[in-house]
Amino acid sequence: MELTLNINGRDHRLSLDPRTTLLDALRDHIGLTGSKKGCDQGQCGACTVHLEGRRVLACLTLAATVQGRPVTTVEGLAHGEALHPMQAAFITHDAFQCGYCTPGQLMSAVACVHEGHARNDDAIREYMSGNLCRCGAYPKIVAAIRDAAPQMAPKTGRV
Amino acid sequence: MADDAGRRPGGHIGQPHVRIDGRAKVTGQARYPADEPTTNPAWAYLVISAIARGRIRGMQLEAARAVPGVLDILNHANVGQEVKSPMGPDGKPTTTTLESDRVWHDGQIVAVVVADSFEAAREAAYKVVVDYEAETPSATFDSPGVQAEALKTDATHSYPLKGDAAAAFAAAPVKLDARYETPTQHHNPLELFTTTCVWDGPKLTIYEPTQSMWGLKAAVARQLGLDLVNVRTVSRFAGGGFGGKGAPTSRTAWIAVAARRVKRPVKLVPTRDQGFTIATYRAETQHHIQLGAERSGRLLALSHEGWEISSRPSSYNVSGTTTTARMYACPNIATKVSVVHADRNTPGFMRAPPDTPYMFPLECAMDELAHELGIDPIELRRINDTQTDPVDGKPYSSRSLMKCFDAAAAKFGWARRNPQPGSMRDGDWLVGYGCATSCYPSNIGPATARLSLTPQGKAAIQLAGHEIGTGAYTLMAIVVADRLGLAVEDVQVTMGDSDLPPVPGAGGSNNAASTTNVAAKACEEIRHKLALAAVQAGAGIFAGADPAGLKLADRALVGPGGRREPLATAVSRISSGAIEVHVENVPQGLAPDAAAALYQGKMSMSRGAERKDVTAFAFGAQFVEVRVHRRTCEIRAPRAVSAFAAGTIVNPLAAHSQYQGGAIWGISSALHEATEIDRRVARYVNDNIADYLIPVNADIGEMDVIFVPEEDHRVNPLGIKGIGEIGIVGMNAAVANAVFHATGRRIRKLPIRIEDLL
Amino acid sequence: MRPFRYEHATDRAQALQLATTPTAAAAAAHVAAPVQYLAGGTTLIDLMKIDVMRPEVLVDINALAGQHGEIRADDAGLRLGALVRMADAAAHPAVLRDYPAIAQSLQLAASPQLRNMASLGGNVLQRTRCNYFRDVTYAACNKRSPGSGCAAMEGVNRRLAVLGVSDRCIANYPGDFANALAALGAAVDVEGPKGRRVMAFEDLHRLPGETPHVETNLAPGELITGFSVPAGPWTRRSLYLKIRDRQSYEFALASAAVALDLDGGVVREARVGLGGLSAKPWRSHEAEAALRGKPLTEASAQAAAEAAFAKAVVHGETRFKPELGRRTLVRALLQCAAMEI
Ligand SMILES: Cc1cc2nc3c(=O)[nH]c(=O)nc-3n(C[C@H](O)[C@H](O)[C@H](O)COP(=O)(O)OP(=O)(O)OC[C@H]3O[C@@H](n4cnc5c(N)ncnc54)[C@H](O)[C@@H]3O)c2cc1C
Ligand code: FES
Ligand code: FES
Repeated sequence: MELTLNINGRDHRLSLDPRTTLLDALRDHIGLTGSKKGCDQGQCGACTVHLEGRRVLACLTLAATVQGRPVTTVEGLAHGEALHPMQAAFITHDAFQCGYCTPGQLMSAVACVHEGHARNDDAIREYMSGNLCRCGAYPKIVAAIRDAAPQMAPKTGRV
Repeated sequence: MADDAGRRPGGHIGQPHVRIDGRAKVTGQARYPADEPTTNPAWAYLVISAIARGRIRGMQLEAARAVPGVLDILNHANVGQEVKSPMGPDGKPTTTTLESDRVWHDGQIVAVVVADSFEAAREAAYKVVVDYEAETPSATFDSPGVQAEALKTDATHSYPLKGDAAAAFAAAPVKLDARYETPTQHHNPLELFTTTCVWDGPKLTIYEPTQSMWGLKAAVARQLGLDLVNVRTVSRFAGGGFGGKGAPTSRTAWIAVAARRVKRPVKLVPTRDQGFTIATYRAETQHHIQLGAERSGRLLALSHEGWEISSRPSSYNVSGTTTTARMYACPNIATKVSVVHADRNTPGFMRAPPDTPYMFPLECAMDELAHELGIDPIELRRINDTQTDPVDGKPYSSRSLMKCFDAAAAKFGWARRNPQPGSMRDGDWLVGYGCATSCYPSNIGPATARLSLTPQGKAAIQLAGHEIGTGAYTLMAIVVADRLGLAVEDVQVTMGDSDLPPVPGAGGSNNAASTTNVAAKACEEIRHKLALAAVQAGAGIFAGADPAGLKLADRALVGPGGRREPLATAVSRISSGAIEVHVENVPQGLAPDAAAALYQGKMSMSRGAERKDVTAFAFGAQFVEVRVHRRTCEIRAPRAVSAFAAGTIVNPLAAHSQYQGGAIWGISSALHEATEIDRRVARYVNDNIADYLIPVNADIGEMDVIFVPEEDHRVNPLGIKGIGEIGIVGMNAAVANAVFHATGRRIRKLPIRIEDLL
Repeated sequence: MRPFRYEHATDRAQALQLATTPTAAAAAAHVAAPVQYLAGGTTLIDLMKIDVMRPEVLVDINALAGQHGEIRADDAGLRLGALVRMADAAAHPAVLRDYPAIAQSLQLAASPQLRNMASLGGNVLQRTRCNYFRDVTYAACNKRSPGSGCAAMEGVNRRLAVLGVSDRCIANYPGDFANALAALGAAVDVEGPKGRRVMAFEDLHRLPGETPHVETNLAPGELITGFSVPAGPWTRRSLYLKIRDRQSYEFALASAAVALDLDGGVVREARVGLGGLSAKPWRSHEAEAALRGKPLTEASAQAAAEAAFAKAVVHGETRFKPELGRRTLVRALLQCAAMEI
């Protein structure tokens, strides 16, 4: 089927099998490989993206269902060369090792702050629990979010 | 956080540095193998066996072939002859796949569907019907039909014997005799076991996450009968390894064959559940421990017998008795290990392969003995601490075990512990404190690298190294900057490509030691060249000086009294552009041709437990608090402290992450992880990442790490012991010991779960 | 995943029309119908990927959020539209204040991402996580292929059910929210080709009995439009307790939804739901009866727990679950009685 996806502010016209998930559309049809496949079954969070500003799992979302709804991926977080405060905090705190879960963690982390769920460490831990990190970067992810939260602009529709 | 003892004159080693690949990782630009752009790839989807033992009588492929977009279906009947059988993680024969109609284990690859799209390949794979001639499989210990094989000492494993452990145990005033079990575990790196193969004439390029670039290259070349020069492996980043990407697996050669047949690049992204059977795992183990001691706590006898599962054809084993025999002073030691062959896939390396499953029983037994004797568990370790290897009397290159215990105990607040089990409470939660010894042998291998330096002070180092999360890129940049007197940002590091000079696989925590030592050697070669030219140059400020007295610092050649010659001058003297060296490093104790062998994909390793001169281990002490709900018995571990002494720490920031991640693995291993097997069909049941539990963020609280300073001049020139695996080793027993302290229930089988405590 | 036709319904009428075909009507059960509604997709797409569900048509009902996406609380009770997302219901002030058991059952479920995606209608229709059901290469699964047997009975079954099971199936209903709905005596609104009907929520799901493949009393093509939870003096003093190995992002091993109307320390009315270990969303009328008129103490809570699990049936690894279930219920009741409201 023919469809247009709006990713990081840009429209992409695609011809896709209706079975194509948003994750596969991003990775294999648009070439945005930042979003990762860790399970393809909603169990790990590596594919987390923002759909109309809310964090969702791209692996359980059919591409066909997001026509006309803006999607933001990890590639859309930075403004040009300037990293998003969350990205910068992840680097400073060494909040990753292999980095494979990181795109999903970042998208969740930004959403976690916008949702108002980063008020204390316990809340951060709970609201970041949909993103597995096999390397065990959790304590540093919490520290990075704690640091980045006050630096983030209040939500304005764009991340 | 900085480790003073590890600091070296250049000023970078031992200083925390953020990862130089951090930006790539947080912007989504870091390219994991499945992210590499490929032109017009076809997609592969695996069909795996639904029986664990038997033969394939035939396959019905019509329905699958009829799916629009299907290009090919590889199976034993059409491609069986095209590939030589793979070797297991130990380099010996292992289970096969499409080479024949034989089914060795559940989930074995039996066909590969190739199609224009992922969706078509998946649909068709589900339509492949396989007719099996099934036999009753043997799943694991105690299943009818398994075969036990007692192991004998070989090149990689030994079974220490000393004195008469049986007699000493029989005569000992205090005895501890217990059996323990550890479960099947799967690495489950977050990245899937992907493979993309691209042919360009006779040349094959393989994009596959690997911890062994050159090992994979050589294995596939052998299987396909290709010249080594015609196979290239690329893995710039791997999404976690943990040993799971250490040994080549069957899938790669078949994807290469598929790409050759369909004349297009072929890309495989297997499912999470397929990862449980197309790669390796940590086998379940059983242990029998006997400790005999004096009332004072001094050990008189240690006997450790272990059993491990493997596949039918492979005797892969980890034999951690090599480690446990060396932990404590003891005059009488007996060890023995058997492999039990079952209808299973072949196990392999998983984070601290021998030490994790074998230290668990020993360290629980020590805790039990301490309880029995009424001695504090830390003191029992102190009483039996030693500076010489109890097996053969060699000195340890260094051993700071008790310093680790003391540092961790202080930080943890061990003094607050009431030794009485079940005595500590916080509201509805029973509180327990536990601790255990951790250790990991210090291994190092040969390595090669290319290093260049420009007059402008930019260095570039290239080697077929592996970034699996350890911070390997940054590690190289720090060492080179340190030794060449540059800023870390001035060093460009290229790795993850077998077209680069070979290094050993990233396993056994050898990576830091092997690669930093070759990098330091390369830097020294450049320094030496510059210094030699400077002292020989008639006109220079160092004419006639002793070249050994010239150092590289702050972008200059610096001599006695602080006299400086800018790097530009020094380099230009030798070369109009950059100077470049290609260096090989063979650590002490290895064959002189060990580096040359790397180019054949053959890796040798100097193993810390089996060196001639010293016994080299890193040591640590791990402490954990567990809480058990008094009614519903959920077990939580909100707080842990681990202290490690592992020689020189190059980058304390990344090292902290490695230690911390390791400790989280330990908690996971003790409380969460287990692959459950349906014994009737020898099949993994919870083969997904929702049912195979690993901790989520909310499971992990405070995870303190202490760097105990340690300088080790004997282990290797840079004094590096390796830190990637030690973090997990002691935590399993520490958790079990803490659960005992909280509840009075001694659980000798991992993982410990709610139902064990109800 | 089998090929399917993707249809986007703009309103309820169109959705019903798209889902009403002769072959659909002939399906043995709602879950087996060749036309399936697509809401969050977190159950459906997952099961289609692993070939367990093979619909030919997907009718995307997300645009029905305009009609059925409302949360309303008034004196009569709480109304939840079927296309309300789990996250939104969990965070709604009236739900949090007046129906804490419902808020918590949603809050403790799945993950933030999944809760943003998943609809309440889809949530109650999620299917068992029994691995023998989810892996199509096991021949024996009465739920997936009627009459084939049950591989789970003597298999790896720690996560499966002990309440409401039959000798054909021991799969558990894995969800959380539905147990709270069952406990609080909710009703479900259904629209179908033949018009509208209201069902007691307790009647939505069926026990496995002889026909574990028929999971609900919905007819093929019927659409859930919303839920209503009656007001009651007990809803404010209510909670959902979920016991699991991990702290978060895990299905329940055992759970309890409890609500109490106390007169001093004495139970005027109790509502008890149980989850994680039951074949369908579970209301324990036995436990409620045991509590009614009694002071809420450790002993009466224990007696209620005994009553709730009197008919539990265990298989292999589920042996611990009645005890875990009893303890979960006792803890939930005592915690609920101690709530400050
Ligand atoms: C990893 C993971 C962990 C999870 N953990 C939990 C947990 O801890 N607790 C918990 O409760 N749940 C959990 N879930 C399940 C999750 O909550 C459900 O998948 C989700 O609520 C289903 O809602 P949906 O809108 O996505 O449904 P869909 O997948 O869109 O639909 C599910 C089914 O319901 C039908 N359907 C949907 N809406 C309607 C309607 N209005 N009328 C009629 N039929 C309809 C569909 O046709 C389909 O058959 C988990 C899921 C995953 C993947
Ligand atoms: S890939 Fe989507 S949740 Fe794992
Ligand atoms: S950094 Fe490796 S999985 Fe999180």
